[in-house]
Amino acid sequence: MTFINRQIEILIVKKLAVLVTTSPYSNLSVTALDYIETALKSNIELVGVFFYQDGVMHASKNIQIASDEFQAIQHWQRLHHTYNLPLHLCITAAEKRGISDEHNDSIHAIFTVSGLGELVELTTKADRMVQL
Amino acid sequence: MTTLHIVRQSAFNTNDYAQCLQVLGDNDVIVFIDDGCYNLHHHLTNNLIDNLNNNLSKSNVSAINIKLKVIAQHANARAIKINEAVVSKIEMTDLVSLTFENDRVITWQ
Amino acid sequence: MSDHALKTLAILNSKAPYSDSAGKDSVDIALVFGSFEQPVSLFFQGDGVWQLVQGQDGSAIAVKDYLKTFSAFEFYDIEDIYVCQNSLEQRNLPATFHIEAVQVLNQRDFAERLTSHHTIFRF
Repeated sequence: MTFINRQIEILIVKKLAVLVTTSPYSNLSVTALDYIETALKSNIELVGVFFYQDGVMHASKNIQIASDEFQAIQHWQRLHHTYNLPLHLCITAAEKRGISDEHNDSIHAIFTVSGLGELVELTTKADRMVQL
Repeated sequence: MTTLHIVRQSAFNTNDYAQCLQVLGDNDVIVFIDDGCYNLHHHLTNNLIDNLNNNLSKSNVSAINIKLKVIAQHANARAIKINEAVVSKIEMTDLVSLTFENDRVITWQ
Repeated sequence: MSDHALKTLAILNSKAPYSDSAGKDSVDIALVFGSFEQPVSLFFQGDGVWQLVQGQDGSAIAVKDYLKTFSAFEFYDIEDIYVCQNSLEQRNLPATFHIEAVQVLNQRDFAERLTSHHTIFRF
């Protein structure tokens, strides 16, 4: 790649948003986290991650995964704190699955309680919105 | 204008991959990840490769110049051998790059 | 902000209604994008075409107002609705649906129309 092209590439920050629909105990979520972390480490701005369908379970404090297995929540916490990665939880999908802040304070603090309107925001802000 | 197709399911189990093949456009990229790696053993992929090699309309895929890729770690985890003559081995960083090199992404899961 | 006009959304529906909540999850997204006046087109492929079959009545299986949710499409100007012809034929289904303005497309047109959108969700 020519010097000029490389300079232009550095200036144009690509914006990515990700829709996570898979549960914390599915290996599919390992892939989603790998994709997201890889994007964060390259020259890409992750405008946000939106959790929908079974993906909302990542936000639940009540999920307990056997200690020798993949702990998705630890990775979300690390990425959120290292990169200020916004994590948006679809509250309707969450409540359907017993996850709520109202009655039992069961949502990890790193997740922002949101609605599908936020999915619209992320989709319009990002250059690419990828569903995983 | 090209599309990146991320295929995560086995055609031996679901219709997702078959449906993906129905919407392929010229110069599209298919990346097999997760259980999508099993499709390297499926006749749909053999048909696709034959079709691409010979430019014949044997299968119901009419698009040309489709690039097939697979995330090596996902295939290796499943003991799926990769024939690099027809499918390229890639890493997750490549999948992220491909996301932006193509104009849109469809996830088949 | 000028990018907004270019960002069209297509939602590809691949699941039959009722047993899997994917259909409802998909409609919810379509309606929200519609309510934000974002352009959204709906596509139905594979078992997704069952969502549009005429004469359905979910009330006997505790599904309330299934058809009613689709009538909201018109309200939010969601008028670009496409069905895959192959999928109908595989299921021996006629091209009659419980909503208006559905276009049946052959494989090539369905593929081209779908991939003319910027963002594609599939449920």
